[in-house]
Amino acid sequence: MTAFDPSFRPETPDSQQPETAPVPLTQLTRGQRGRISVSGPETEDSSVLRAMGLRPDASIQMCRLGEPCIVALSGACGGGCRIGLARDIASRVMVHLDD
Amino acid sequence: MSSAAPSPADALVTRRTVAVLGNPNVGKTTLFNRIAGIRAKTANFPGTTQEARVANIVRSNDGRRIESTLIDLPGVYSLNLDLSESRVCRGVLDGTAAPVGEATHIPDALLVVIDATNLMRNLTIVAESMDRRLPMVVAVNMIDTARRRGLDIDAARLAECLGCPVVLTSARTGEGIDALLDAVDQARIPSRSAPSDRDGIERWSQDVYLNASAPLEAAEYDTITDRLDRAFTHPILGVCSFAAVMTGLFWVIFKLAAYPMDWIDLWFGNLGAWVAGVMPAGDIRDLLVDGVIAGIGGTVIFLPQICLLFFLLALLEATGYLARAAFVIDRVLRPFGLSGHAFVPLLSSHACAIPGIMATRAIPDRRDRLAAILIAPFMSCTARIPVYVLLTTILFPGRPSMQALAFTSCYVLGAAAGLLSSLLARRTILKGKSRPMALELPSYRVPDLKSALLITYDRGMVFLKRAGTLIVAISIVLWWLGAYPKVSPTDLPTQPAMAETAEISHEPDDSALARLQSRESFLGRIGTAVQPVFEPLGYDRQLTIGVLASFAAREVFVATMAVQVAGTEDFEDETVLESIENAKRDNGEPIFTTATSWSLLVFYVLASLCLPTTVVTAKESGAWKWAALQLGWMSVVAYTGAIVVYQVMSAVGG
Repeated sequence: MTAFDPSFRPETPDSQQPETAPVPLTQLTRGQRGRISVSGPETEDSSVLRAMGLRPDASIQMCRLGEPCIVALSGACGGGCRIGLARDIASRVMVHLDD
Repeated sequence: MSSAAPSPADALVTRRTVAVLGNPNVGKTTLFNRIAGIRAKTANFPGTTQEARVANIVRSNDGRRIESTLIDLPGVYSLNLDLSESRVCRGVLDGTAAPVGEATHIPDALLVVIDATNLMRNLTIVAESMDRRLPMVVAVNMIDTARRRGLDIDAARLAECLGCPVVLTSARTGEGIDALLDAVDQARIPSRSAPSDRDGIERWSQDVYLNASAPLEAAEYDTITDRLDRAFTHPILGVCSFAAVMTGLFWVIFKLAAYPMDWIDLWFGNLGAWVAGVMPAGDIRDLLVDGVIAGIGGTVIFLPQICLLFFLLALLEATGYLARAAFVIDRVLRPFGLSGHAFVPLLSSHACAIPGIMATRAIPDRRDRLAAILIAPFMSCTARIPVYVLLTTILFPGRPSMQALAFTSCYVLGAAAGLLSSLLARRTILKGKSRPMALELPSYRVPDLKSALLITYDRGMVFLKRAGTLIVAISIVLWWLGAYPKVSPTDLPTQPAMAETAEISHEPDDSALARLQSRESFLGRIGTAVQPVFEPLGYDRQLTIGVLASFAAREVFVATMAVQVAGTEDFEDETVLESIENAKRDNGEPIFTTATSWSLLVFYVLASLCLPTTVVTAKESGAWKWAALQLGWMSVVAYTGAIVVYQVMSAVGG
């Protein structure tokens, strides 16, 4: 068994690509993927979202549009984590679209 | 802190407290229930609405006797959020908070439960726990689901990354539970440390995740979950499936609960008759039969409905459906200043407002929660049903379709009054928009029967203890007010007609005595004094007494009326119902005119006639002012509604 290397930094596929301008999560189409951009000013709601897994650079996929929209945090958590968001909240989450 | 007891006999006994921590929806409570079973009890944190399950378990390990108190803390995404559940968890870990009945001290060990299918996010709370420098163990739960999805987690490697024991478990299949208990006995302070700032924790958790598991970067698109989610949250299909599920739920509750309710009714009836038969006549017998046994029976009779409701809701919640339904109903409730979280509490309130108000604990935002508590008693509970049945029968004799329509209208009127009251409250005393929903949608699962049964048992006991003691006390007070001061047969007015009948049978004599008793008792005198208040609503002295008695618990209305008009409480007897319908006022006019009946029906839909609900409101909202506001507002609405109905109906009817 190899010892745990604390300096280990995985290279994620998208981290090397030039980033597009972030768009609100509500603009994603169904099935489209993206990465959460660094969020704006810290609010009580945004820290809860971040604790729920909507953290900067987390890979996100739109599963259902509308109110609520449903997103899957796919890469971040092994495909099991789905979060329903009211439109109010989703429109404030900024996302870099994957190609 | 952990300490060996001083006496030599107990030298090998270790007593300690283990706090169980984890995110919501990780199967933490199922795991806890599997370890603790029926030994667990639910306890509140003082001054909060948060609760924990607490269990004492005893194990022997290498000749040592280990007595552990497990505390299942509320599920939190992070210890550092400004939310009530996070504050409670922080308090327990700091040694400043403990559930009622437990000593306040820093726990001796932490058991952190994390979700194998959602490892990276769950590592946040692991890092925050490691920062506490307490002996800890990590349970990687739902490992069976993770494996099914092709996700493999290397426990040894994860243990190395964290520097503390790691056990792979499945609370559902029981895998790893014994190993986990052994590991908890040997919990140790992590030999590694984690960052304490959030950005650092996020980077660290990604590193640990990638080191300890085979990551699935491009997870397969979960089409079944996706289709189910789209159907259950669809604007039309979602509402239809919601309506179908709820109709089914209520149908089962009403249909199935009817049998045990009948048995309980019969059993308490027989018990009362038996006690009445073996005891000599007198006040003690009356107190036991009419006060204590009737009071306990009147409480226990609601137990089947409450148990069934919580059992079915627990099953439904475990399937993952309720989280989706909350979103569907959020769209309906939001314009009224309520969030989708309020839907289960309001739904439960249709069975009984008490469990409904208790269920508001799941609402995260304080103002959303207060609004839901305040309007919960507007929902038509089962205790109103006997009154609805009586009045709709009187209003539409022999026309079942009209009775059903009036019956349904009562439910609609109650719900509408509740929603409008919420709107008013959110514009005035509870200003502010309801918090938009962000809710994790747990995976669809086959529910765990044992967990649901444990929740049911727990809620049933809470109901019996809380409402039971109170309803029994009220029943005894009511009995006393109705039974004293005693009248004797010599107090009966001598009427020639009455005397003639009395020669044929003693029955009319008894009922005349009962009527006199109801008029001359303290309750009767109070009724006479208060009657002018209810005059504009069309209520006479006897109805006023019925309404006043209902302030304790509305289900006593029919029985109170029966006692007054016929001197018998057996209101299931058809002739008694008829005698209520044909009851006369003191001046000889019928009590139940059309206008009076409508007015009374509206009053019972809208009024908060249930002392236990008021008490539970005060307890759950944390202040008597909310209970007083609820009682006052509902009384004003009911009184105004009933006046308008009576005056309009009287004017129209001539």
